[in-house]
Amino acid sequence: MAVAPMTKVIDSDVHPWVNGDIEGLKPYLSSAWQERFEGRLRLPDHPLRPPLAGATSIRHDAKPPSGGAGGSDPHFMREDLLDRYNIEYAILSSIQAGKLATLPNANEATVLARAFNDFFVNEWLTVDSRYKLAMCVAVHDPAEAAKEIRRIGHDKGVVAVFMPLLNILMGNRYYFPIYEAAEELGLPVLIHPTGTEGGFETSVSFAGGVPSTYIERHTIFPEIAIGNVVSMVLEGVFVQFPRLKVVVAEFGYTWVPHFLWRLDQNWRQFRREVPWLQHEPSKYLLEHVRFTTQPEEEAEKPEYLLQILEMMHADRTLIFSTDYPHWDNDVPQNTLRHAPETMRQRIFYENAAELYGLA
Amino acid sequence: MFAMKHYVAPVSQIPDGQRLITTVNGRSIGIFNVKGKFYALRNVCPHKQAPLCLGSLGGTMVPTDRPGEFEYGLEDRVLRCPWHGWEFDIATGKALFGISDRRVATYPVEIEDDKLYVEMR
Ligand code: FES
Repeated sequence: MAVAPMTKVIDSDVHPWVNGDIEGLKPYLSSAWQERFEGRLRLPDHPLRPPLAGATSIRHDAKPPSGGAGGSDPHFMREDLLDRYNIEYAILSSIQAGKLATLPNANEATVLARAFNDFFVNEWLTVDSRYKLAMCVAVHDPAEAAKEIRRIGHDKGVVAVFMPLLNILMGNRYYFPIYEAAEELGLPVLIHPTGTEGGFETSVSFAGGVPSTYIERHTIFPEIAIGNVVSMVLEGVFVQFPRLKVVVAEFGYTWVPHFLWRLDQNWRQFRREVPWLQHEPSKYLLEHVRFTTQPEEEAEKPEYLLQILEMMHADRTLIFSTDYPHWDNDVPQNTLRHAPETMRQRIFYENAAELYGLA
Repeated sequence: MFAMKHYVAPVSQIPDGQRLITTVNGRSIGIFNVKGKFYALRNVCPHKQAPLCLGSLGGTMVPTDRPGEFEYGLEDRVLRCPWHGWEFDIATGKALFGISDRRVATYPVEIEDDKLYVEMR
């Protein structure tokens, strides 16, 4: 297939993997902690697995020749993703670290988050300067998470803070120490499905109850983002932290217009409940929140999608992502092909470059 | 068209803290007595045409600087629509704090010898 040449691409959702979970992190754990984790070196999987070969969400054909899981070899990913699609920067976020949300123990989660970060800083950022890291934090202990942000957030390879969420909405001031540190260092906070939703006591709950299949839980991911974005806007997170940005990765985006309008409509009616908002809530959302493209939404007619892009001000709010090496990854050449060229440039490069300070 | 003075009612018919809903010149209006000061507004909400003057009169949460901070103010200045709760300044008819550009019509009130008049175009 002939493809339009694309000049510059930033990929805002790429997932590296540590072979063996905690086993692979051992070099980054003290001997005491290695001892503490002995016999339970695997992070738990959600019981509702993807109905794919191996019941894994990682593409089989992305397995590196060196062995190990897809996404575990920075050299292979460089060829298979960065070179092949001419990606200028890839933002790495560890969905494996998303499993920290399953841990009821704040000390363990904090120590593992630090180990994940040291692992990726040492073993990935050093391999290719096109790799940039969304460092992870254990939100179990926001004060410790803030310390971790201040410990490594200055590294110029670190461009965002991934928050594997517990079942607390993001507007809650519980998280404020994390926002304070992220804002101080100019790092956007990033949320992404952790893959633990609805499966563990501590992880995020789905509205209404517990889904019973993978297709079901995957379909309803957007509700998590909706609840959290609305919570942040209305609770005044962006009043308190006026320079904070939020990346909402892989939660879909065609729902955004509905919530822009619904927020404003309700604000006209119930403003007195949130008098700290200085203007209509949609403005905070458009100003502070960014959404990733993948999985590209397959509208009934292409023009529907274009209308939605316009409604959500995609030239400011949308950023391209592949989600490599997951089963449903998108490649730049096949994504948003019908969007106008200037908008594509914003989505594929400029919005993310501004967001992450990579311009 | 020139503004015309229309007789509404004897002043004594609207004691302090009370309101009168009536039709003047073919328009439904509300006249409020707020501590001896009178206000007249169109009884039609610019949002979705609810009978605005049946709404509650009071104050509201004025804008604050910090999340979680509340300050109640504008007591007796805020007319709140009985339907969706849009808040209007009873004196100017403007929707408050930028929730909308729409406004409700207000009419000057005049009192002569215990007779209350409104001016309407
Ligand atoms: S009709 Fe008055 S607020 Fe909707």
